[in-house]
Amino acid sequence: MSMGYVLLIPLLPALAFAVLAPMPRTVRTRLVPLAVGAVLGSLALSVAAFLAVWPGGHVGEPTWQGAVTIAHVGDRALSLGLALEPVSAIMLLVVAVVGAAVQVYSLGYMHREERIGWYYAALSLFTAAMLALVLSDNFLGLFMAWEVMGLCSYLLIGFWHEQEAPRLASIKAFLTTKVGDLGFMLALAVVYAEVGAFDFATVLHHDWSAGTATLVALLMLFGAMGKSAQFPLHVWLPDAMAGPTPASALIHAATMVAAGVFLVVRALPIFEASGVALTITLWVGLVTALLAGLLAMVQHDIKKVLAYSTISQLGFMFIALGAGGSTAALYHLVTHAYFKSLLFLGAGVIIHAAHTQDMREMGGLAKKLPVTSLAFASGSLALAGIVPFSGFWSKDEILTVLLHEHQYAAFGIALLAAFITAFYVARLWFRVFTAPTQQVGLHEGHRSMLAPMAVLAAITAVVGFFGPTLGEFLGHEIPWPALGTAAISTAAAVAGIAFGWWVYGRTTSVVNTQAIKQRFPHAYGVLTNKYYFDLTYGYFVVGGYTALARGLATFDGSIVDGVVNGAARLWRSLASVGWLFDGRVIDGAVNGAASAVRAAGARMRTLQTGSVRGYQTLVAGAVVLLVIWILVKGA
Amino acid sequence: MSQTLPTVAFYLLAFAALYGAISMMSTRNVVHATVWLLEVMLATAGIYLALGAEFLALVQVLVYAGAVAVLTLFTVMLTLRRREDAVRPFPVAWGSLAMAALFTGGVLLALNGFCSVPTGMPATAPGLEDFGRELFTTWMVPFEIASLVLLAALIGAVWWTGGDDR
Amino acid sequence: MTVGLPHLLTLSAMLFGIGLYGALSRKNAVHVMMSLELMANAVNLNLVAFSRFVTPEAMTGQFFAVFSMVVSAAEIGLGLGLVLAIYRRKRSVELDAMQELKG
Repeated sequence: MSMGYVLLIPLLPALAFAVLAPMPRTVRTRLVPLAVGAVLGSLALSVAAFLAVWPGGHVGEPTWQGAVTIAHVGDRALSLGLALEPVSAIMLLVVAVVGAAVQVYSLGYMHREERIGWYYAALSLFTAAMLALVLSDNFLGLFMAWEVMGLCSYLLIGFWHEQEAPRLASIKAFLTTKVGDLGFMLALAVVYAEVGAFDFATVLHHDWSAGTATLVALLMLFGAMGKSAQFPLHVWLPDAMAGPTPASALIHAATMVAAGVFLVVRALPIFEASGVALTITLWVGLVTALLAGLLAMVQHDIKKVLAYSTISQLGFMFIALGAGGSTAALYHLVTHAYFKSLLFLGAGVIIHAAHTQDMREMGGLAKKLPVTSLAFASGSLALAGIVPFSGFWSKDEILTVLLHEHQYAAFGIALLAAFITAFYVARLWFRVFTAPTQQVGLHEGHRSMLAPMAVLAAITAVVGFFGPTLGEFLGHEIPWPALGTAAISTAAAVAGIAFGWWVYGRTTSVVNTQAIKQRFPHAYGVLTNKYYFDLTYGYFVVGGYTALARGLATFDGSIVDGVVNGAARLWRSLASVGWLFDGRVIDGAVNGAASAVRAAGARMRTLQTGSVRGYQTLVAGAVVLLVIWILVKGA
Repeated sequence: MSQTLPTVAFYLLAFAALYGAISMMSTRNVVHATVWLLEVMLATAGIYLALGAEFLALVQVLVYAGAVAVLTLFTVMLTLRRREDAVRPFPVAWGSLAMAALFTGGVLLALNGFCSVPTGMPATAPGLEDFGRELFTTWMVPFEIASLVLLAALIGAVWWTGGDDR
Repeated sequence: MTVGLPHLLTLSAMLFGIGLYGALSRKNAVHVMMSLELMANAVNLNLVAFSRFVTPEAMTGQFFAVFSMVVSAAEIGLGLGLVLAIYRRKRSVELDAMQELKG
């Protein structure tokens, strides 16, 4: 059977974008079903492609491959190709399912938006880029898709660009990820200089020396840290929550932020050749998982809690990668994509119903939104790591890898992060769903919003049981969790939830954070100020630049002015000698000339209108005259 | 011996460039105009590629599509306070149109006078390597001066846009 | 039918004309800058076309185009910097608002 339809998987949403984007707004709005249809088509083809690979596919042996040469640069051919193999097949399924769920959900969520057509165009382009990224068989194609996703992320964060916050957030996200992208780009330059090719097979089987491998791996890690919002490049993701919630679910929870992890998964042999880079990856993940988890504990905005939680969970994936467990990282990526997008979609329904994102103003939603709260419970339990929901299995797999690699310190920190995760999940749950009702007239979301959530919730509930199958597919063993590890992690999760209940769920009144704030003023201040990261960047990067400018101004004032003044003084003393010779004749001549100039100036100043457009017209007119003159002369 | 440009590719790219340029002038939204400018730049890069100027095509994408378009978008976003500032009707400026038409017509007429220009493309097209060698030997000094120009522009731009205390 | 130098020059002239119209008619400074870029782009296209057809070996036109790109990159950077600086002072990027040089 011909497998050419794999090409259509990213092409369908791309075509939807190409059709929607140039249309006027009213036509675009009518064409929205086309975009949804395209992504559903991609989903169907993705399922078909997955079934063609599974079972029987092997990592590194593409079931289908296609490449096209786009240009010859010098004597080298630049080609872009797609390859279908187990890793890309699994990722296809994840991206297509979440992408389709989000697009269907958005029909309900965004139906009042005037620019819904543009929203769907950007979403389609993003989906196309992400599908191309996971299918790409070379680093160059991956990088191009990566950049397109960055653009779409920027466009979607700034979707409500008539407001100040989304606009600034979109610029911040773009610039921060660009800092990381620079690392990725340099890594590609080094790869090309060293290997002379970009395709995975050649690059990964290259005989890497430890030094070069470390350089490439660290540069790539930097790129991945920017995209996956890892410490210290995490500052953009919480702000990115200013965008529409379904877009956050797709881009900033499930797919784009996971692209960094995916890059490291792809390039892991280079990291392994280096060794040092693996250790650094591990610690970046540990620090991020812990610090972002702590930050999630003090946020009041429901979306920001989820954003910090995403950062923290991505940290878990980096931990797994740092310990060399690419399969465990991929496993957690898959489960996290499903349950976190589910949580975001649930948050969207809650925000629609409650008309606020502040959890302090919510409460008692469990009775008002029964379907949403059920789905949200599935996602929350998965995030907290409670058996049998998906997060439990993948988190346990990461912990198992750490134990297996004898990384006991890392194991401890990861366990602590898991405890914190369970705590903030409980905090969110008890505050939003069980605290006393504060609002009246809440209503459940539309069917088109609930159906995708139900699908995702079902996946979240059962996908964990497929861990060993997945491991077999990827050529690595994923065992059922050992009883000891499972007991420890479950104990941590249950303890976290219990502690959360003790603080937030126990009393009948809404918890007064004032009390906590007063008891631990210092720690609370550090957390609510997000470890002063934004302030530090503001102070050192922006402030340093201002200081430089001020220094230049001082230089200007003291030295340049000094030279100018000195020259003036010298001139004045010369003049004071010269005034003796300054007779009546010279004066008269000078005055006469001056008044002549003044009279001419009075005429000329009418030409100086100060109007920029007037000047432009003058210059253009002169050029046109010149052309006519050339024509006449030439004829 | 001469060869020709791929005709279909050229007409497609030329159409894309002209369509983008006209759309850029006719759209009411300055953000859309930026995107259309980007499209024109990409189409031009394609024509460069067809003309065998690979390096220029790459630089075109990097500088125009990458830097200039993004810079313009940022400026638009930073200088827009209201949506009304972005979207507004542009009446056709007949005077400007006449002047531009006069100019274009004049140039096209002048072009007809140069019938002696070759229509066939010379077969030899030096590759990227020759280009690089030439750039760093014959054009070494201008190249270095260009880098100084860019540095000066960078410092100047930073100086102008910097702090509120000036 | 073959595509030769005249076709490229025609395209370039038309792009330049469209850019000229934009530069003359727009009131928004950013829009004017963009039109200027369009004109510079048309000129570069001209240079590259001549280079390919007239001096294919020496590639003189291509080098000119490279330097022309450097200049227009510097120009757009400085120009947009100026626009931002003016925006700070006047809260507007309208060309008609800039009349300080009136004599």
